[in-house]
Order: sequence, then C-alpha cells, then structure tokens
Amino acid sequence: MSKLGMLTRLALLAMLAIPAAHAQPAPATPPSSVRLDAPTTGFDPDSVEVHQTEELDKNRLVTGSITLPDSRAATLIQPDGRIWRDYRRGPLLWITAAVVLGMIALLGLFYAIKGEIKIDGGRGIATLLRFSAFERFMHWVTAASWCILAISGLNIVAGRVTLLPLIGNDAFSTLSTWLKYSHNFLAFPFTMGVILMLLVWVRHNIPNKVDVAWFKAGGGFIGHGHPPAGKFNGGQKAVFWIVVLGGGGLAVTGLGLMFPFYVTNVFGMQIIQVVHGGIALAMIAAMLGHIYIGSVGMEGALDAMNSGDVDLGWAKAHHSLWVEEELAKATRPQPSPAE
Amino acid sequence: MRMFLVAVLAMIVVSVGAYYALNTIQKPVDVAFATQAARIDPGE
Repeated sequence: MSKLGMLTRLALLAMLAIPAAHAQPAPATPPSSVRLDAPTTGFDPDSVEVHQTEELDKNRLVTGSITLPDSRAATLIQPDGRIWRDYRRGPLLWITAAVVLGMIALLGLFYAIKGEIKIDGGRGIATLLRFSAFERFMHWVTAASWCILAISGLNIVAGRVTLLPLIGNDAFSTLSTWLKYSHNFLAFPFTMGVILMLLVWVRHNIPNKVDVAWFKAGGGFIGHGHPPAGKFNGGQKAVFWIVVLGGGGLAVTGLGLMFPFYVTNVFGMQIIQVVHGGIALAMIAAMLGHIYIGSVGMEGALDAMNSGDVDLGWAKAHHSLWVEEELAKATRPQPSPAE
Repeated sequence: MRMFLVAVLAMIVVSVGAYYALNTIQKPVDVAFATQAARIDPGE
C-alpha cells in the first residue's frame, strides 16, 4: 500500500472515531421508541432522521437560493409531494384498473344476459331524421378526440406497468411521446366539440318529470316496455351533462396542467392532476356505457349518428314524445305567404 | 360515415392550429428554465 493510501485510511478512521467517542449509550427501549424519544442533543443517527421527518412534515415547502431565472425553481423539497407520488404510483393504478376493467366486465355481463336490444317488430321502411349533419359533425369531433384523449391519458397513468413490459423501452418511448403530443393538441377540438354540443343541445337536455318517470321505469332496460321520452331520454340527458360538466372540468384542469405554475404552485399542480385524472376516469366509465348502448347494445341506435336517419319503429319505442312532436310539425298546415 | 371523416379532418386541422398557437405562447424548456449562459444554443 502506498504512503498516500495509508494516510487516507488513517484519516477516514479518525473521522469515524470522533463521533463514536461522543456517542451516548442507547436507551434500553425498542428501536421504534428510540426514534420517538430520541434526545435532542448529542449524536444519535436516529434523532437526525426524526428531526428531518418532523421538519419536512412541518414545512409545506423547503426553499433555497438559486440562480435560475424562474424563481419557482427555488423549491428544493416539497414534502406533500410524497403523498402525491405514492398515490400516483399505487392507489391510482388500482382505481384506474378497477373502474375501466370493472366497467368493461359489467357491460360484458349485461350483454351476456340481455343481448342486443332489438327493434320491436323489426326494422321498417319509414325513417325519421334524428340528427342533422352539423349535429353529427360536432358529436364525432368530440367523440373521436375523446377516444384518443382517453387512451393517451390511460397511457400516462398506467402505460409504464402495462405497455412497457410488453413492447419494450424504445417502442414505449416513441409511442408515449406521440400520445403525449396528441393529448395536448386534441384537447382543443374536444373542448370545441363540448362547447358546440352545449350550445346546440342544451334546450333538449333540461331535466323534467318525464325523465324521473324514465328512471323509475329503469329506462326500459329492466323488464318490458319503453317509458316515454323526448328527443333525449333521462339516460342521454345524464350523459349530456356528464360530458358538458366533466368536459368543462377537464378543459379547465387540462389548461392548468398545460401551463404549469402559471396560476398555482407545485401543491396546486398536484391537486389539479388528481382532479383531472378523477374526472377523466369517471367520464371513461360513463362513455364506455354510452358507446356500448350506442353500438352493440341496441339495434338501430348507431344509425342516429351514422346517417342521421333512424327507423320509425325504433324512434317510437325509445323517443315516443319526440316522434309525436316531429309528426305534429310535419302535419301542421304551413302558413300561407302574405299576399 | 361522411360526417365522421369530416369531423376527423376538422379535428386534425384544429389540433395543428393549437400546435402553432401554443408554440407562440409557451417557451421551450431550455429558454424557460435556464440562464443565458446555460442555454443549449444561445444563438437562437
């Protein structure tokens, strides 16, 4: 061993020996009690940890001096971030899995029991225009944006534990980058679609007594027969308000995430992220139900958003009051032009 | 189906518009969070 090496070793040993010489004998209590009752003076490795934890719990933000132009970067430690991080890594994944997979399982079970709800008496020849071209356009802008937003959002939450092990680092990185860009930019057409739907459909979606009766009758899903409904039944009105209020909430919180720290600090950012994810998850569950009943769950329902024309028998069964209104409009004598 | 395709086209157009709009508002990370001397390309 060289002289320099020997000197270094001796110096290290001396450094270790100094604290050992000042160390006090450990109290004759279990280790957990030692931490809580640790003396405030003298050397005790545990007491250092206890003080640090207490300090972190006492202070919302531990700040320091920085030379970066952004003063918010002076936050060096944010103790509350540990709660957010633990939630993000643990409970959020389980909640997401339970909501998404649970909803898919429920719909699968419902389909296995009930099957596709058929049009009473089969499809006829007569049809009725249910949604105009513009109504279908705004619906599909919102729906198509939503599908990609939901998939890319789920990837942000759970991609690391679901996709990454399957496709590997490189593919996951590329995919996640593109999905993140999509998430940011598709938020705008989605918000546009929600605003248009609010403006065009709100007058048909004001809750009334007919909706109460519709819900009391189980919406026609339980038992036989179809409760009367206007252009939108109680379930559709619920979906409308979920989309408008939930979509509005997602847009606001999404802007908060898109412009980090513009209006709040790191704690606020964490709250916004939790709220954004919670609303999104609730909407994913609701939209899975909406997609199911609008496609495989009910014969003739997709026509309303495909061609816009629905089977008259289907319309009479599910929206009897609306059909009466439309037929009354069609048979009402038109005012003669002024001479 | 035609309205679906028109909607997808509109969705892309609005998204691209949002991309350019955001680029005028948001700063790149090397500008927002670094000093002049630490920028990756100070010439820009």
